[in-house]
Amino acid sequence: MALRRPLVALLSLAACLALVSSGCSRGDANTLKVVIADYSKDHTKPFWQSLAADYTKRTGVKVDLQVIDWNSIDQQVTTMIQNNQPPDVLNLNSFSSYARDGLLYAADEVLSPQTRGDFLPAFAQGGEFRGVLYGLPILASARAFFFNKQLFAQAGVEAPPRTWNQLVTAAARIRDSGPGMIGYALPLGPEEAQAEWSIWMWNNGGDWKKGDRWTINSEQNVQTLQFLADLANRHRVTQVNPGKTNRTDGAFQLFKDGKVGMVIGFSPLAAQLDAEGKVDYGVTAMPTNEREAVTLGVQDYLMAFKKKTNREAVRQFLELYYQPDNITRWIAAEGFLPVTKAGVDRLSANAKLRPYLEVLPKARLAPTSDPVWDKVKLDVQQNIGLAVQPGGNPRQVLDGLQQRATAAAEERR
Amino acid sequence: MYPAVELLRASVSRYSITGLYQGAVGGLNYRRLVEQDALPTVVANTLMWVIAVVGVTVVISLVLAQLLDASFPGRRVVRWAVIVPWAASLIITAKLFVWVYDYYFGALNHVLTALRLAEPVDWLGNDATVMGAMIAVGVFVSLPFTTYVLLAGLATIPGDVYEAARLDGASAWQTYRSVTLPLLGPALLVATVLNLIYVFNSFPIVWTLNDRNPGFGHDTMVTYMYKVAFKSALRDVGLAAAVGVLNLVLVLLAVVVYLRTVRWQDAQA
Repeated sequence: MALRRPLVALLSLAACLALVSSGCSRGDANTLKVVIADYSKDHTKPFWQSLAADYTKRTGVKVDLQVIDWNSIDQQVTTMIQNNQPPDVLNLNSFSSYARDGLLYAADEVLSPQTRGDFLPAFAQGGEFRGVLYGLPILASARAFFFNKQLFAQAGVEAPPRTWNQLVTAAARIRDSGPGMIGYALPLGPEEAQAEWSIWMWNNGGDWKKGDRWTINSEQNVQTLQFLADLANRHRVTQVNPGKTNRTDGAFQLFKDGKVGMVIGFSPLAAQLDAEGKVDYGVTAMPTNEREAVTLGVQDYLMAFKKKTNREAVRQFLELYYQPDNITRWIAAEGFLPVTKAGVDRLSANAKLRPYLEVLPKARLAPTSDPVWDKVKLDVQQNIGLAVQPGGNPRQVLDGLQQRATAAAEERR
Repeated sequence: MYPAVELLRASVSRYSITGLYQGAVGGLNYRRLVEQDALPTVVANTLMWVIAVVGVTVVISLVLAQLLDASFPGRRVVRWAVIVPWAASLIITAKLFVWVYDYYFGALNHVLTALRLAEPVDWLGNDATVMGAMIAVGVFVSLPFTTYVLLAGLATIPGDVYEAARLDGASAWQTYRSVTLPLLGPALLVATVLNLIYVFNSFPIVWTLNDRNPGFGHDTMVTYMYKVAFKSALRDVGLAAAVGVLNLVLVLLAVVVYLRTVRWQDAQA
């Protein structure tokens, strides 16, 4: 978007928003358009390029491979669909809106029963829209609680906290152990606030939905958000302005710099910490108010777009990806978690992944099967941070989210 | 013209969150736009952003151009140095400033605390400072273009008018006010109008420096349009297209108003 000439800037912004071409979608059976999200510079593109080459060799069908960074993939995919040039195969973190719009093949149309049966049940269920599997699990991750062992020792905190009260005590001790020390790094800025919030919410007995009803402003949730606001403003154990801190360049960066006692992380953070070797860290379960700690599992999806002549080509491409050798090779390289039974068998020997694999079966997923979630997620990202700012009002923020979620749900009916 | 027509067409259409076209809706998107709670804030931000960046840029550029027009040793090097912020990509420049402004790691806070001038400030997270921080970067990247336009303007002023002024016994300030500034008029006009359009449409700086802040509290019309389309619960390209059309109208309006004011002043003079 680094556009210097104003007219060009205007016109291309207009163009990127507004191109609506008429006519039928270009389903060319000789080329498969595959759009993949960029998980890492080192592994994503090389893997998919080699898979595409293999596929072309086997089938003679060319692959138009586009690897797109997370920041702009929503925008680019929206524009493709608006222009009536949808991909054939798409990798994204949401699927149900596409299923609702009738754009996707159901799994049965493009996967063999064996491949379909190999998905871990929780993830297969997470890809269902109205009881039919559309969002094919592509990989998963689970969050875990990271703590800095050296800072714990310095502050005289013996073990990672198991409860929220212990968390407050431990965080306060770490903060007091030296100038500039941060007890807990809380990222509630727009990047990924819904993930951080989910974990705290579940560990206080709250949830996004109860049955078909959204329960974002339940009493437990108001209490949870008040607790997070108190961490920032009353106990003062977080970094400055947690409602305006993003995860990657904020909370993670501070933890990697050894300034932070505790943060919620995932396996790619562990990989970065190992590579830098600067922080001696431990990984454990979340502090909780419940009997058992809950963590967040995140799954991403592959979707197959319905076009007149592409079904066989798409089927062959997906079958190739889901061959245990291929899918496992990629997931292992990216440091994520398997979504298939074969993948779990192969990766369970990996000691680094063990803490995450152990929590994976019990990890809870966001309500991605509900198309309303695609809006709720963005709404939470854009608004929940306001509640933990000084003078913020947790109840009011949650009431707003609840009201908009309910309105969006009604609109669907 | 084609993109403008398409923008207009999109603004009277309804789209699903996926981008799927769902039919024409007439003026509905415009009616919804007017009802958005965030709109007044965003319009006020945009006014502030455009007026401050263009105003400060022009004033500083007038000084810079005058300096660079004088001959001094090393002028060539300084002239090149002024171009640098222009040559760098806006996104890279913006990211660089994110780190300069950072509360914990930023150079700015290091300097302030080392000199004991102030306590550290969360420049990009504090509601009171984020707009100022963005405006400073906006000015920084707008200076090169503006300075060079004015420098070119200075070069067109013939030497003999200065000689005449000197013979009439004008002081340096009088010469500047009654000779240089009036003759610089056309260059100043071009610089201001182009900056007006360019700063209004500037996306990367506001987007990058403001990406940590929730809500629409510090957005300008252009980042607002993007958020409406892709990054907020609205997620609506039809509504965003309506914002786009409004943007076009606003820019044209601003330019017309500016040109009229200038001509009106000319008529007075």
